[in-house]
Amino acid sequence: MQRIAWLIPVLPLAGAAFHGLLGRRAGKKAVTAVALGTVGISFILSLVLFFAAKGADAHRLDYTYFEWMTVGTLKVPFGLVFDPLSTVMALVVSGIGALIHLYSVGYMWEEEGYARYFCYLNLFVFFMLTLVLGSSLPLLFVGWEGVGLCSYLLIGYYIETDYAPAAGLKAFLFNRVGDLGMTMGMMALFATFGTLTVADILVKAGHMSPEVTCGVLTFATLMMFVGATGKSAQIPLYLWLPDAMAGPTPVSALIHAATMVTSGIYLICRLAPVFELTPTTLTVVAWTGGLTALFAATIGLFQRDIKKVLAYSTVSQLGYMFLGLGAAGFAAGFFHVFTHAWFKALLFLGAGSVIHGLHHQQDLFKMGGLKAKMPITFWTMVIATLCIMGFPGTSGFFSKDEILYLAYLKSPALYVIGLLGAACTAFYMWRLMGLAFWGEPRDHHAHDHAHESPWTMTGPLAVLAVGALLAGLLGIPKIWGGHFAIEGWLEPSLTYGKAEVAEAAEHGSHALAWGLMGLSTLVASGCALAGFLIYSKGTAAEEAFAERHPLLYRVLSNKYYVDEGVETFILAPVRWLGNLGWKLFDVILIDGVGVNLPGAVTRIAGDFTARTQTGRVRNYALGMAFGTVLLLWIFLK
Amino acid sequence: MTFTASQLLALLPLLLTTGAMVALMLAIAWKRCDDTAFVVTIAGLNLALFSLPIVMAQGDQGVTPLLQIDGYAVFYMGLVLIGALATCTFGRSWLKGYPDNREEFYLLLLIATAGGLVLAGSRHLASLYIGIEMLTLPMFGLVGYAYRERHSLEASIKYMVLSAAATAFLLFGMALLYAQAGSLSFSDLGLTLATTPAHHPLLMGGLGLMLVGFAFKLSLAPFHLWTPDVYEGAPAPVATFLATVSKIAVFCVLLRFYLAVPAAADPMIHWLLAAMAVVSIVIGNLLALLQTNIKRMMGYSSISHFGYLLAVIVASRLGQMPVEAAGVYLLMYLFTSLGAFGVISMMSSPYRGKDADSLHSYRGLFWRRPYLTAVLTVMMLSLAGIPMTLGFIGKFYLIGVTVDAKLWWLSGAIVLGSALGLYYYLRVMVTLYLREPGMQLRDAKGDWAITSGGLVVLLSAALVVALGLYPQPVISLVQGFQNVVLH
Repeated sequence: MQRIAWLIPVLPLAGAAFHGLLGRRAGKKAVTAVALGTVGISFILSLVLFFAAKGADAHRLDYTYFEWMTVGTLKVPFGLVFDPLSTVMALVVSGIGALIHLYSVGYMWEEEGYARYFCYLNLFVFFMLTLVLGSSLPLLFVGWEGVGLCSYLLIGYYIETDYAPAAGLKAFLFNRVGDLGMTMGMMALFATFGTLTVADILVKAGHMSPEVTCGVLTFATLMMFVGATGKSAQIPLYLWLPDAMAGPTPVSALIHAATMVTSGIYLICRLAPVFELTPTTLTVVAWTGGLTALFAATIGLFQRDIKKVLAYSTVSQLGYMFLGLGAAGFAAGFFHVFTHAWFKALLFLGAGSVIHGLHHQQDLFKMGGLKAKMPITFWTMVIATLCIMGFPGTSGFFSKDEILYLAYLKSPALYVIGLLGAACTAFYMWRLMGLAFWGEPRDHHAHDHAHESPWTMTGPLAVLAVGALLAGLLGIPKIWGGHFAIEGWLEPSLTYGKAEVAEAAEHGSHALAWGLMGLSTLVASGCALAGFLIYSKGTAAEEAFAERHPLLYRVLSNKYYVDEGVETFILAPVRWLGNLGWKLFDVILIDGVGVNLPGAVTRIAGDFTARTQTGRVRNYALGMAFGTVLLLWIFLK
Repeated sequence: MTFTASQLLALLPLLLTTGAMVALMLAIAWKRCDDTAFVVTIAGLNLALFSLPIVMAQGDQGVTPLLQIDGYAVFYMGLVLIGALATCTFGRSWLKGYPDNREEFYLLLLIATAGGLVLAGSRHLASLYIGIEMLTLPMFGLVGYAYRERHSLEASIKYMVLSAAATAFLLFGMALLYAQAGSLSFSDLGLTLATTPAHHPLLMGGLGLMLVGFAFKLSLAPFHLWTPDVYEGAPAPVATFLATVSKIAVFCVLLRFYLAVPAAADPMIHWLLAAMAVVSIVIGNLLALLQTNIKRMMGYSSISHFGYLLAVIVASRLGQMPVEAAGVYLLMYLFTSLGAFGVISMMSSPYRGKDADSLHSYRGLFWRRPYLTAVLTVMMLSLAGIPMTLGFIGKFYLIGVTVDAKLWWLSGAIVLGSALGLYYYLRVMVTLYLREPGMQLRDAKGDWAITSGGLVVLLSAALVVALGLYPQPVISLVQGFQNVVLH
């Protein structure tokens, strides 16, 4: 098994190398075959390893290939881990990845940089699998940075536009802020545990008692969480994700909805026993997640770009996942990662199909009446929408309700925030559906040319729709007669290294669970109905609303003006500072002192003006003299 | 004074380089021919490089009171020789268009390299001084080699004037130390000064003035002002040498001095060095933010990189593995700078007046020279410390060392500096891939990849990536060399 396991990440890498080096000469067919083949085989191998891990002792296979780095006392092995958590995630990455590769064939066929696109996409799968399977934090970090790089490259894929490269840069920079946190967190963990291998950290953490005050461990986990907010687009680092929609739509589906953006949640689950030791951090996680869930959902209410709606919806759903984690429901949070991957990928691919059918029209107000023209896209998107709003029996229903239930146990305020967010979600999703598929076509030209997409695109839609419906079966709650199977399955990963595994404490009562579930279902259904009824008739109601409440409407549709705020209060001052530094040194100190105070300076530094023709060298000498005097003064005082 | 055979063998790199120097002088006197000059130089440097295993086999050799040829010295000699060889190959392409005498370029380069080799093994203030001067004096000529360009000549004179001042401080500092300790060898200084009362004015004054000299050569704030001007004015191959060999050699001897002389670890000095490190990191990165001249930008960037390295010196008495971290970081810095400056050299070769140093010249380079662009991209990523490049391993070590020494705020400064740095490195990268070409004043020749300089550049890029993915060879190499210095 060990001999083939490494192929899982390496095959997509080989594919990327092929596309990069030979892609253009080999032609589109060869590129297609290699891209699909490598990811497909990776998926099959992941499946094999999934069952192998299931049969292994403690459901865990730990393969070390070689010593990667030995730095002082720190030994970093190059190894892969197959345990319940990583295998499920690897299956999602390679499985949904394969489907999206297939979809991309149709979507990108006519683009010029076909090989370049698949090169980046395969490379992304490689890094994502490295992130998921890596046995040590540095290896995970390599994947973490690598997916960031691929995301940057793919967002900026439409290189000839102005906005795409800028959006890519924005994503990269925001992620770096998070990575600073991650680096600090990693170092703090190293300082605490003396190792960076995940399994060793967890074993050592298993013998520790929770940290009540804010010590090093709280610092470490908080910093890790900062890293997670960057990658998973939480407040305050969420701004890059909506802009990231400048990339091709399948990329949005794979990277910016289903896989990469959930790696922050994955990271916390990976280190779950450590996070459990730091209740302060968990509270921060829960509140950040809850607030992001609501905040992003309200922004989603009045966006006109179909992909922007979905982008804010992703930010909001990621918030729910963190809310679940913060409420110590690691399994619940990860369950939502799993279900969300299916239905959000489906929503994005459906949106991509609509955009493709309408020849790159993304404005919801110019769509309408597509129900009959694109039946497969329509029906699959209905399924996804039911899932995301949490319609009883769908996958989103089970995962979201579990999170809301745990949130209530943590703090009723969090539940209310989550419930409001869910209400907004239901409303904006049915607004989207109503505007796109029902009503009169508002752009007749586009509507006349609209067509259903080819099978390579509708096929993945159908598979994802089935997946979205069935994904919930893994986590049927106890009150429905199930036993929340995913929790039991993930338990070996989430409690790894613990000295003694406490019996999961049962809180609340069945009545409470039923009551909360009923309430949220009722609220969501009501909002969904409202959204549908208002918007299936057209855009008139929204225009009327905008007239009646201009301020509210403007604030929401302009995303609370956060981008503008960042520009004014953060970016402008930094630029100003850079400018100032430049002015201070080159202009004031050098030119200013040099030109305006020539008398004194000339006498001290000697007259080199004639020889150098700039009069600057004396100022440099003067700077040196200042420095020396300062140094000596400090030394001798 | 008698030499044993192994002592002579230990001196082999130095002897071979100086031998090549003499041979080259004779060759020039006999008949000017730049091909011959190139061959003699390359042969001499290569022989010196390949003699390093022989030197290593001799073990730890003290040669006269001046030089200590141990693993540490051999490692840095290797770095110096690699940097010099690369400069030679870049210089050859550049000189193709040079209208005046070309041979002296190689001669000056060999003298400076010999100075670097002396510094690598120096264990005595006299050899330290000789090494620094041998390294610096030829640089005046090299920086001003394109003397028909106003910029180049100006840079040379600036460098000369300021460098002379810095050296004067260094020498005066040494004199003060000698007055106190009565010896110039590092180990004697260490022993004598350990018993000197703290804050003794002669001692502190001497160390302070020496620090001025070192800080100037390493362009640490506030002695960094010359850097961007000289980098900009110097011909691209010379700037390569200035950025790599001359700084690496000086840093090497500074670290050895700092470790050998415990008085240098006075809390005051310690604090001051840390402050200098932070200021260098901040100033270097801030000033680079808005640069549109790539050579100036590299100058500012080198200020910040040596700020990071100064942090290692600060941590060196508190934690483990500082020598190892410095070795890894300098190795990374060498290859990355060779690659980056190599590309600038390729773009500016053959000599046709001013170098291609405006960022405009690189706009849309990807669409004309995709592989050259890939090399520069890798180098920028490495300088920024992105994983999968050697740069990440270097940053990882630095942060590891500062964390190990519990210097939290210093590691914070490194992390913050890297974040700032990312911005301008990325800006260069973005420029490379823009669709519309800028002013195409200069461009690399179409066959750049099959010139010797092109091969060096490609090799550097390959090493930066390969060792970034699998750094163990570098780590083992450096670990093998570091034990010696700490005795």
